[in-house]
Amino acid sequence: MSSEQTLSADVVIVGSGVAGSSIANELARAGISVIVLEAGPRVDRQHFVDNFRNLENKPSYQGPFPAVPWARHPPNQMTPNEYLHTTGPNAEAYQQVYLRMMGGTTWHWAGCAWRYLPSDFELKTRYGQGRDWALKYDDLEPFYYQAEVMMGVCGPDPAKEDLGSPRKQPYPMDALPISYAAQQFRKLIQEKTPYRVVHEPQARNTRPYDNRPTCEGHNNCMPICPIGAMYNGGYSVYHAEAAGAKFIPNAVVYKIERDSANKHVTAVHYMDPDKGSHRVTGKYFVIAAHCIETAKLLLVSADEQSPNGVANSSGHVGRNMMDHTGVQVTFISGDKALWPGRGPLETNVIDNFRDGDWRSERGAYLVHMVDDNQVDLATQLAISKGYVGKELEEQIRYLAAHTVRLFSHNEALPDPENRLTLSKTNKDILGIPHPEVFYKLPDYTVKSCEHTRGLFKDLMGLMHGTDAQWTPGYFPQDHPSGSTIMGTDPKDSVVDGFCRTHDHENLFIASSSVFSTVGTGNITLTVAALALRVADTLKKELAHA
Amino acid sequence: MRQDRTGRPPAEWCATPNAMRLNRLVRMSRRDVLLGGLGLSVAGLLSPAQADTQAPAEKDSEVGRFMAVSQRLTDRDVLDSRIGTALYAGIVHANPNRAAKVQALHTLLEDSKPATAADFARAAEHADPALKDVIHEILTGWYRGVADNKVVVYRSALMFDITKDAIYPKTYAAGGPFYWTSKPPEVDRPTGSPALSPSPFVIEPT
Ligand SMILES: Cc1cc2nc3c(=O)[nH]c(=O)nc-3n(C[C@H](O)[C@H](O)[C@H](O)COP(=O)(O)OP(=O)(O)OC[C@H]3O[C@@H](n4cnc5c(N)ncnc54)[C@H](O)[C@@H]3O)c2cc1C
Ligand code: SF4
Repeated sequence: MSSEQTLSADVVIVGSGVAGSSIANELARAGISVIVLEAGPRVDRQHFVDNFRNLENKPSYQGPFPAVPWARHPPNQMTPNEYLHTTGPNAEAYQQVYLRMMGGTTWHWAGCAWRYLPSDFELKTRYGQGRDWALKYDDLEPFYYQAEVMMGVCGPDPAKEDLGSPRKQPYPMDALPISYAAQQFRKLIQEKTPYRVVHEPQARNTRPYDNRPTCEGHNNCMPICPIGAMYNGGYSVYHAEAAGAKFIPNAVVYKIERDSANKHVTAVHYMDPDKGSHRVTGKYFVIAAHCIETAKLLLVSADEQSPNGVANSSGHVGRNMMDHTGVQVTFISGDKALWPGRGPLETNVIDNFRDGDWRSERGAYLVHMVDDNQVDLATQLAISKGYVGKELEEQIRYLAAHTVRLFSHNEALPDPENRLTLSKTNKDILGIPHPEVFYKLPDYTVKSCEHTRGLFKDLMGLMHGTDAQWTPGYFPQDHPSGSTIMGTDPKDSVVDGFCRTHDHENLFIASSSVFSTVGTGNITLTVAALALRVADTLKKELAHA
Repeated sequence: MRQDRTGRPPAEWCATPNAMRLNRLVRMSRRDVLLGGLGLSVAGLLSPAQADTQAPAEKDSEVGRFMAVSQRLTDRDVLDSRIGTALYAGIVHANPNRAAKVQALHTLLEDSKPATAADFARAAEHADPALKDVIHEILTGWYRGVADNKVVVYRSALMFDITKDAIYPKTYAAGGPFYWTSKPPEVDRPTGSPALSPSPFVIEPT
């Protein structure tokens, strides 16, 4: 079964997450016709809020977001996983989660919106490690700002708190005032260590912005902000649709068709949930399907012309998988009550280890003191310790007021052996193979994590902490990147500095999959900035066409 | 392009997560039917009229005995019998032998009339180590609002009642702009000791 009429647009985008929908919005506003094909369904916030409230295991961020069978996503961060299969020495450290539905994974992100440091783009030149990107910080600076305006990012005044990424304009919104718990943590770090705690830049409203309300401190940014005070890709979808972009839900792209010279993409094909196949033609194509699914789609599209997959003459599609695999510890502070969990989840960061000469030896990292409501955890802990009645209630209050959670983002390096392939044994209901990832933590990252463990032990000591619960092994941070790596040499990279594939002149990729290295800050602001730069390139080229 | 936007996209399939959630609710009502089949008293759950009157559960009903045991284990004179009815149904549904265990706890309560939750729990574990699990389930029910791995109540769970001077349940904040910058109450280090032997604490996977 296939559709009678062929769909067509100037630009066809695969994926409606931040990357795809922000490009769609920019192009549609410039009068360019756009079709966005989204594998998952249309969804709405209130159902996710209801699902969250009905969820027994509240820390399960995937819990409120069941997948549809034709666009599956990982059900949880467990190994083995029913969808994202991981193997290798650090299989469990690569249990990334993401969402496949209109608006994408930022339905349950935390809104942390870091710019990378200038050095993050030049790791090879400065420290002899990894690779350089095929662009510099200054190339991206205007698009970082555009992304911050699009999302509504609040952050500190650089004159007072310089985060190391030079800015031409102030943040669109003032920094978020940090919670009492974070204030106490900041004071401790300032007084007792050589380090500092900074205000985290966040896509969270500190005043009404883009017709969305000011943050009310529901402490549920992950998995679902109940009021939309935090940006997510859904808002760029609304804006893009209002500007005339056409979004087609439940459209699972499975094939990228090229001309006989294999230089030009002519169409993409998608399946609907009934396996009906549809062809969509266009002048330009952008794959914005998230790091894992983007590489998977290029590999699935292998045919006689490109037996190793589309855009894969280098053989690097699916290789160089990275993340911010980190360390996590939860403990009970022996100091005064903090009551974490009043206000947003992630607001403050120790940023001293984001850069330094030691980066020639070990990876950089940053530390979050997670401001998470600990009442439920405290209750479970107190019951398991054997308390009942009045004593139980005292314990719950004490533990909820004194539980501290620290976690880190540690820098990975691109290693071609860390590789995504198509599962040979598992397919979804449309017959598309599941993704499989082999992962071995780079020594660079292991050394970085060891350094972090040392720091966490020191901090625990300073807070007179007890009952430490270390998350076993390493902690996946859901920042997968590198699977269609950027570079200047078509022999060892997939896209150029403009995110255009070396192999196909009208095929672009907008995703963390293009990252050449992964730095320390959460990845999405950089994804959005790169995507907006793709939109800029397309606008210019279509204007000249 | 533009005129396309007004209509719903042609391909709006029915099995969205929203519909999937509905499916789950349908499954839950099947569970209620099963509970009915077990001959349990779930009338309080099913009949709003009866629930509204908040009539104290009959002393000699199963739920009545569950309420008496719960009051002692929480050191509280007043607990909501509507919530108790639902918790009891969930606990017994997860594990039918719990009905006999609650009965055993009730007999112990009547016989020894312990003055505190701690005395009661200690005596129960001493009499039958297996009673510890039931006590955990009862406390998990009241304090976390969870039974049979399902949420029975969220906001009304006792853990939120006893912390409401400091913090809001997630998604229910009502403190006004930037309330979180203010100083929350101090909490003294508790002096009480556990009544039951410790159990392994397993953090659920995310
Ligand atoms: C729990 C969690 C917390 C996070 N917190 C942060 C944070 O605080 N800060 C931060 O910077 N980042 C955070 N991230 C990462 C962030 O969510 C991602 O970087 C971001 O969503 C990437 O945007 P994207 O548009 O590239 O991909 P996505 O948002 O994943 O969107 C991709 C879209 O493509 C669609 N798609 C996939 N395959 C196909 C196909 N074959 N055909 C058609 N469509 C397809 C998907 O359905 C999806 O809608 C977090 C992630 C998680 C899981
Ligand atoms: S704290 Fe609450 S209101 Fe603010 S962004 Fe997070 S979930 Fe939304």
